[in-house]
Amino acid sequence: MAVFDTPEEAFGVLRPVCVQLTKTQTVENVERLQAQLQAVSDSALQELQQYILFPLRFTLKAPGPKRERLIQSVVECLTFVLSSTCVKEQELLQELFSELSACLYSPNSQKPAAVSEELKLAVIQGLSTLMHSAYGDILVTFYEPSILPRLGFAVSLLLGLAEQEKSKQIKIAALKCLQVLLFQCDCEDHPRSLDELEQKQLGDLFAAFLPGISTALTRVITGDFKQGHSIVVSSLQIFYKTVGFVMADEQLRRLSKVQAKPAVEHRVAELMVHREADWVKNTSDKLTILIKKIIECVSVHPHWKVRLELIDLVEALLVKCSQSLVESAGPLLKALVSLVNDESSEVQAHCSKALRHFADQKVVVGNRAFADILSENLHSLATSLPRLMNSQDDQGKFSTLSLLLGYLKLLGPRVNFVLNSVSHLQRLSKALIQVLELDVADIKVVEERRWNSGHLSASPRTSAAGPRRQIQRRYFHFFTDERVFLLLRQVCQLLGFYGNLYLLVDHFLELYHESVVYRKQAAMILNELVAGAAGLEVENLHEKHTETSPEELREIVTSILEEYTSQENWYLVTCIEAEEMGEELTVKQSGLQAITSGAHTCQVSSFLAFSNPSPTICSMNSNIWQICIQLEGIGHFAYALGKDFRLLLMSALYPVLEKAGDQTLLISQAAASAMMDICHACGYDSLQHLINQNSDYLVNGISLNLRHLSLHPHTPKVLEVMLQNSDASLLPLVADVVQDVLATLDQFYDKRATSFVSVLHALLAALARWFPDTGNLGQLREQSVGEEGSHLSQRLATLEEGLENTTTAEDIEQFLLNYLKEKDVADGNVSDFDNEEGLGCTGSVCGSSTVPQEPAPSLGSSDLALTRAPTHQR
Amino acid sequence: MAAPPPPDPQFVLRGTQSAVHALHFCGGAQGQGHPLLLSGSLSGLVHIWSLQTRRAVATLDGHEGQCVTWLQTLPQGHQLLSQGRDLKLCLWDLGEGRNAVVDSVRLESIGFCRGSVLARGHQHWTLAVPGRGSDEVQILEMPSKTSVCTLKPEADAKPGMPMCLELWQTGDRPHQGMATSLRPVERRQEDMQHPAVVVANSSPRPLLLAGYEDGSVALWDVSERKVCSRIACHTEPVMALDFDSQKARGVSGSAEKALAVWSLDEQQALQALRTQELTNPGIADVKIRPDRKILATAGWDHRIRVFHWWTMKPLAVLAFHSATVHCVAFATDGLLAAGSRDQRISVWSLYPRT
Repeated sequence: MAVFDTPEEAFGVLRPVCVQLTKTQTVENVERLQAQLQAVSDSALQELQQYILFPLRFTLKAPGPKRERLIQSVVECLTFVLSSTCVKEQELLQELFSELSACLYSPNSQKPAAVSEELKLAVIQGLSTLMHSAYGDILVTFYEPSILPRLGFAVSLLLGLAEQEKSKQIKIAALKCLQVLLFQCDCEDHPRSLDELEQKQLGDLFAAFLPGISTALTRVITGDFKQGHSIVVSSLQIFYKTVGFVMADEQLRRLSKVQAKPAVEHRVAELMVHREADWVKNTSDKLTILIKKIIECVSVHPHWKVRLELIDLVEALLVKCSQSLVESAGPLLKALVSLVNDESSEVQAHCSKALRHFADQKVVVGNRAFADILSENLHSLATSLPRLMNSQDDQGKFSTLSLLLGYLKLLGPRVNFVLNSVSHLQRLSKALIQVLELDVADIKVVEERRWNSGHLSASPRTSAAGPRRQIQRRYFHFFTDERVFLLLRQVCQLLGFYGNLYLLVDHFLELYHESVVYRKQAAMILNELVAGAAGLEVENLHEKHTETSPEELREIVTSILEEYTSQENWYLVTCIEAEEMGEELTVKQSGLQAITSGAHTCQVSSFLAFSNPSPTICSMNSNIWQICIQLEGIGHFAYALGKDFRLLLMSALYPVLEKAGDQTLLISQAAASAMMDICHACGYDSLQHLINQNSDYLVNGISLNLRHLSLHPHTPKVLEVMLQNSDASLLPLVADVVQDVLATLDQFYDKRATSFVSVLHALLAALARWFPDTGNLGQLREQSVGEEGSHLSQRLATLEEGLENTTTAEDIEQFLLNYLKEKDVADGNVSDFDNEEGLGCTGSVCGSSTVPQEPAPSLGSSDLALTRAPTHQR
Repeated sequence: MAAPPPPDPQFVLRGTQSAVHALHFCGGAQGQGHPLLLSGSLSGLVHIWSLQTRRAVATLDGHEGQCVTWLQTLPQGHQLLSQGRDLKLCLWDLGEGRNAVVDSVRLESIGFCRGSVLARGHQHWTLAVPGRGSDEVQILEMPSKTSVCTLKPEADAKPGMPMCLELWQTGDRPHQGMATSLRPVERRQEDMQHPAVVVANSSPRPLLLAGYEDGSVALWDVSERKVCSRIACHTEPVMALDFDSQKARGVSGSAEKALAVWSLDEQQALQALRTQELTNPGIADVKIRPDRKILATAGWDHRIRVFHWWTMKPLAVLAFHSATVHCVAFATDGLLAAGSRDQRISVWSLYPRT
């Protein structure tokens, strides 16, 4: 088909068709015209615009009933012309606008005319194209007060279509068209930004439609979920853009000064709205109701894009209308906050972005009103939290806690205002403590035992992926969803991050003390508070927030650690055997009325109080969990303090290492992971490295605990582990401890011999490892200065040699028999019958060995007598 | 209700690898870094322990393997005096991580008698050390090392060797302003601020308390070089003494089974007040806590004993060491340290002040 570039050529082709159409208005003629138009270039078409439009408009205006099909084709043709040309005249624009909207006018009803869907769509598209084809200047002048009735008709028409039509296509087209009409179209044809005066004019104009638009759109938005998300998204967009435009603080502020009314004819003036204070107040009240409805419905909308749009709505309204819509700020913030933990990651990310933006712009913190609203919300949430935690299901808890988390995030440092109120802190903590209650009925916890006393061979490198990520699976009374636990941890971390740490730690330590019932939960909370205070894993929205200084943090951690590792909280009954050990408590203490330093004052009494006669499975389970949580806390603390934690190793390492050897699987696992955390935090390559570098601290703990063996029955085990993991540099430090061990062995050899013998075995193995040559042993002997030192090393050397010369089982047996006879002789406990023989044997034993040096005073115990009996029979 | 268990040391420092003969706390109170504990060992090494990390931060080797018997930091800067049995008194500079001998004084006596030092002004202090003659005490002006005098007992007294020395000075009101900047030992400084000792002469006069081999304690007026007073406290050599100048009361321990408490009256005459019997003989060291509430003794019987300073009521027997305790020391905050032949230093927190 030929293309007609010049107007003359085009005119020649189009004239007959136009004339034909003017004469007889049929669908065929319109179609013919449209077919010819296809061949005309845009520039030619622009020249002939008026001419071509005439027959089309004539057709529309011609009196009498018309067939819908005809109107539709005319409108389509009109649309085609407009899409290729520009409307340059104000009058034309107005007339076309009226004529197009009139196509759907039905004189009898408020509703759009009952015409075919195709026609409706055509008209909507025609209107949309018309507005796009208008020149920018003309378009602005189009929105003068006199257009108000016609514009109003179009707007209500479109709203009606959007609301009532069945076809999704029409609905969407109507909403799109509405956007164009309301100057919200974001296509490139409207690049011009409006100046202040124009904004004001438009604002005044649109204010008249605000009630209609907002109520109709609210109906659409809160309608059936099944209508499709794009409709709701567009409606939300129009809603907040319109409200944000008409109710913008910036415009309203200026308006209150300018009172001049535009000079318009009376009829129009009646329709005009002047946005004065009263009107703003009334409108905002009504809008608040609508906004609440929208939020209520949309925040649980199944489609994530809708929820995403809600964030934009909140953001736009809070930023633009913070004063005019102050009433709505509460619900809006709540909506935003509750989306922080949305299941869709896009929504989450967008929400965090919005929150960050708010924080950056100080929208909340810089605005007293908002901060007050948020504090108020948090207040009321804190109040109802215990009840909600009690009554809600997992999903409910999840959303409630999400909300709490969001408030904390938004309030940031201002959270202290709420925490400073005793009653609110109590409510909050009560809720947290309540919901974190562990289910301790699982029998497996007590049952599971660590069987292999395996080496601490694992190096932290192997588990380098996020040391704090692996947390032992816990079972809670009040929820099963892991996400709820995660949220609770985040809540605590945020509290620790923004809140006054001294206050919080104080409060929860008090609860920790208050009752066994709270202890585990309080410890969990304390752990997370510290982790949060160190700023780990906390996304800071508030830049100027001052974190807790490392010194303060260390001070706080030290006090919590002291509490955790104190006698009554660390040495709990976790198995029946442990309880039996407790009975040895009544040690023969030297009768000194000795004074005690603060840490020791109450340990015995409280320990006795705790080892009550029959621990139930539940109480043992609970104890196991408490120890695990505290161990996990120590790991957290190390992580929080980093290298600073090295200073706390002197008090923390020994207890943790002791628990690493615990029989209960869970405890030993928790201790192992705590040690791993410590390695990471303090920069040690491996557990061996950690133990070796801090053996002096361990030795200190071991030697002090050996003095109270009944209270610390596992001390030999720690010594053993330490010996297994240290190098020769340890030797000068352990000399006196080995002396202590031998001394204690004398004292308790009937009950504790096994554990001590395994220590001595570990020592020998270590010596063999440290000094592979016997040549080095001589050196060692010279190294140790002082009598005891050399004495010990000689003794060790003797043992060492004995170890290297292969000793047979018979040798050992013979040695033991001889030894026992020697003892008998020493006790004068020998019958005449085997006296001589015994003496003979004894002589040889004495010559060969110096090991059994101390004759223990308490040898006459019953079990030894049993061993001795067969000797006599020989 | 079971009796409370015997107290444990707060912690134990290991690693001297040799018997501990001298202990001294320093720092902390002045806010310059963390408090330190200095220990001198039989092998001639001085270990500097950080009380924060409980580890040795430095080792000073300046006495050629001979036992270090006395350690004392000086008020100005970071200077340390160490007395060794190699007949040398070393002055160390420990400031800013240095640890070098900046000066040393040649000693004339090989005995175990520890020296004593008294701050007299800015960068100016008096030192008392055992002198050349077996019964003499030498007084030196420092840091010039000029010998001021030699305190020699009268020919007929025959007290034997001096065993322990304690320099102090009478109330010196005129120098109070300056005195606040001086802290030879915290206790002395407090004395200057509270000149409760009533001495007729108001100008500051250095006085020396010396315990002798024959069991007597003598008060020397250093400027007049004469013995003001002398009493026989013990039948065995005096091993250690400490003096509370505020209460004008002192205590001495000897090789025998008793502590002697004595006082100084207004005429500067020593008067025996009482003796405190002990279960086992031999006191190697005695120290009054800076707050003058308690005192601690280092016993040859491996025990540290704690007494109420005013009533001399026995408060505690601290059993931890497995060999003779050679020395005890108090920190300004009340921490007690004891060094023993078993190569360990035990640190105790007793009746912590609230």
